[in-house]
Amino acid sequence: MGFLTPLALLFAALSIPILLLYMLKLRRQEVLVSSTLLWQRLLRDRQANVPWQRLRRNLLMLLQLLILALLTLALARPFLPTATVASGSVVILLDVSASMQANDVPPSRFEAARQAARELLDGLGPGDAATLIAVGPQPTVLAAVTTDRTALRRALDEVAPSDGPADWEDACALAAASAAGRDAQTVILSDGAVPETLPSLPGTVHFVRVGERSDNLGIVTLAMREGSAGPQALLRVANSGDTSAQASVELRADGVLFDVRPLAIPPHASAALTLDDLPYDLSLLEARLVVDDPLPLDNVAWATPGRAAVRRVLLLTPGNLFLERALATLPGVELTRLAPDQPLPGEAYDLIVQDGPITQTLPAGNRWVIGPYGATSTVFTETAIVRTASDDPLLRYVDWRDVHVASAWTMDTPPGARVLVQAQGGPLLAVAERPEGRLAVLAFDLHQSDLPLQIAFPILVANLAGWLLPPGGAAGGEIVRAGNPLPIQPVADAARVIVSTPDGRRHELSIGQALPIFATTDHLGVYRAEQFDAAGTLLRSDPFAVNLFDPAESDIAPRPAVRVGQAEVRAAQPGAEGRREFWPWLAGAALGVGGVEWWVFHRGTRRRGNRVTRGRGDAVTG
Amino acid sequence: MLDAGLISQIQRLRFVVHRTRAGQAQGERRSTKRGTSVEFADYRDYTRGDDLRRVDWNIYARLERPFVKLFEEEEDLAVHILLDGSGSMDWGGEGETGRRGDAETGRRGDAETGRRGDARTRGQGSGKWEYARRLAAALGTIALSSGDRLSITLLQSSSSNVRGAKSEAQAPTADFQLPTSNLQLRGKGQTLRLFEWLSGLEAGGVTDLNAGLRRHALTGGRAGLAMLISDLFSPPGYAEGLTALAARGYEVTLIHLLAPDEVEPPLEGDLRLVDIETGEQQEVTVDGEMRSLYRRRLAAWREEIRTACRSRHIHYITAVNDAPIEQFVLTDLRREGLVR
Repeated sequence: MGFLTPLALLFAALSIPILLLYMLKLRRQEVLVSSTLLWQRLLRDRQANVPWQRLRRNLLMLLQLLILALLTLALARPFLPTATVASGSVVILLDVSASMQANDVPPSRFEAARQAARELLDGLGPGDAATLIAVGPQPTVLAAVTTDRTALRRALDEVAPSDGPADWEDACALAAASAAGRDAQTVILSDGAVPETLPSLPGTVHFVRVGERSDNLGIVTLAMREGSAGPQALLRVANSGDTSAQASVELRADGVLFDVRPLAIPPHASAALTLDDLPYDLSLLEARLVVDDPLPLDNVAWATPGRAAVRRVLLLTPGNLFLERALATLPGVELTRLAPDQPLPGEAYDLIVQDGPITQTLPAGNRWVIGPYGATSTVFTETAIVRTASDDPLLRYVDWRDVHVASAWTMDTPPGARVLVQAQGGPLLAVAERPEGRLAVLAFDLHQSDLPLQIAFPILVANLAGWLLPPGGAAGGEIVRAGNPLPIQPVADAARVIVSTPDGRRHELSIGQALPIFATTDHLGVYRAEQFDAAGTLLRSDPFAVNLFDPAESDIAPRPAVRVGQAEVRAAQPGAEGRREFWPWLAGAALGVGGVEWWVFHRGTRRRGNRVTRGRGDAVTG
Repeated sequence: MLDAGLISQIQRLRFVVHRTRAGQAQGERRSTKRGTSVEFADYRDYTRGDDLRRVDWNIYARLERPFVKLFEEEEDLAVHILLDGSGSMDWGGEGETGRRGDAETGRRGDAETGRRGDARTRGQGSGKWEYARRLAAALGTIALSSGDRLSITLLQSSSSNVRGAKSEAQAPTADFQLPTSNLQLRGKGQTLRLFEWLSGLEAGGVTDLNAGLRRHALTGGRAGLAMLISDLFSPPGYAEGLTALAARGYEVTLIHLLAPDEVEPPLEGDLRLVDIETGEQQEVTVDGEMRSLYRRRLAAWREEIRTACRSRHIHYITAVNDAPIEQFVLTDLRREGLVR
């Protein structure tokens, strides 16, 4: 224990006047009595019987000295050194992602982090403000810059872990916004499953790590598709532990166990399992890892077969075998090939792929232009690739490093376009969202490059086609991650959609101009979207599964450090600093003792008064 | 000193004596001696020199032997009133009365106090001393009116003895430096003299009750009834003196007189008590608990005295001077069997 203002202890000198006043007061009044004989005997008796009476006589003085001592102590502002990570105003980023539900730290990592946050709040000084941000799929500010401990604690008590991944970029933006213009420190309470690099945060950043074990098995992929011999499923299980693991996978079709497969997963790797012998009429596939690991959340996954929704693709090409093959292998795609000069059939197409320049006008809709785009397109040959948007999902698994392009057309970049591949002379690949449909522009003839020969080409085609084609039918077959909103494609005549969640709640969405979007996908499990027409007739009922499917979350290994901006922040050791002041308690105690003193004083006088009155009454009647 | 109504009432009273004793003069009490009264007592053989008038001739005629007829003798009784004249007895008057005036207003004794105000010689209120003197006067009146010999003695130390008695009332034992003044009276006619003498007395000084009583036992003359009026606030104690009196053959009555202030002290706070008699100081903090302790202590003290008296066959009567003296004399003394 120490004192912030030890000079205030000098106030203890006030006890001298108190004692002096008492000594003055105790100069006794002289009273003549007929005889002191009885009083002498009385005092002899009393001192023999109750020696502590002498103390009680000065009870009031002792109480006053006690009050003075308490107040002096309170003025000196004593503090206890407490084990805390940060003092002063803090922004607390509390990780509520799925991996925080791991129970390697009993009861769970989340509870440990919550406890750490509580201790952090307890260690704050009286004037220190705190901000509490829960980092989940949608980071939320639980308590904005406030010094109200009660509100902070209540917010902390109410927060629950989510089943989804954490969006650290948004969380850091929130933290930076709430710390703006003030001297605040940031504390990250997490198991370290954060992106490689976080945006830089204001003030000093502390990282409090929770979690101990890393041995976790998690399903990171469960996908179904219609194969040639019935439905197929792909299951991928990741092992984040340091030892290879054996697990058996229970497979249930519509809730009925139909297969158990053993699976060996090497350490820090994943193993896949392909299932070909699924029942034909399967509507819901559930895979469950029978294993005891810290994070049970990712041991179960569900998949629904995609509806055989046929997407019609029109390919306008003078002849491009690579493109034709790549498009034809896409599942659920019905490909129609026409020469550029052939008249278009009157049917509606989900996607028109335009290979090479074209003269005739095309109907509005999703479009993939391969070749010149725009009226003033010229040819350039400075086609060395300078930049690729490698983190864009459309370029996932697409390697542009070995791609060479002989010549390309310049393009009029449409408004709002994303340039995915940039060469010296201009963009090579750009995508854009237009009101009339999605647009992708590949600004070179495939024959003028070696891209079709690369392994990247079919992947690129699949990615682009997956983006350009509208979501198939309704929600069926979709793989949704917890916390992500899901647009529900209404069927014709549907007036409302009712989504029932795994925990039995029902959410009603109305169908208006906008696409109904179901956003309450907080928990993993099987949801069901039912579409009704205006008369209340069930038109369609689709199950859809919300899965974790996040290797980063399944990898629960606690990280020793996180990178924030340029700096690496290592896990902080609690107990570095922190002074917990407790002068309000002392002041309160002084107030309480003051009350006791008042009571003692008044009790004494009241009782004395009673006795005297009664004594006189006796004298009168006697 | 006493009003006429009370005097006429108490003149009808007699002291009750449980033992017959020899007297000195003709009186109204049965004596141990055989004498000339009309009460027959005994026969005895005639011896030479006996008065022939007392020979019972009827017996002689029947038995032919002379017998002398004996009669009871009635003689007087020696009544000793011992008045404690120590400083502590002078309490509860004057200032005390003024201080507690409010509390006493409307009390039934108040009117009489006012009426008796003329009788007061020194302007003292109805304090303990006044009460004690009036009590002595009442007892003395009883003794005088029943023809007994009254000896009234003021127990006071010589050093601070403000002798209020007149010179003719000097005790014959003054040679022994007995710290008392003494008055010997007899006969109804002496009542006024008794009152005069009493009203001239003043209390003060330290009195050693033991010594005073012992000396009275040795030098007080014929034993008889002894009535001690005292507050017993005597540092050396009182027991030995009472024992000496009882051993001498006195029939002792102890009238323990206390002031209301002493029964229920109106004190409060941190005080230094000064003894009016000895000047001793005692620091005490009086609160409610202390007061209740005092009451218990006082009750225990009285019980202690009562036990000591019982073992010596001494009457013990407590009196508080806020009760009217008529009530005490006519009711309390009668109930205690002291008077009849």
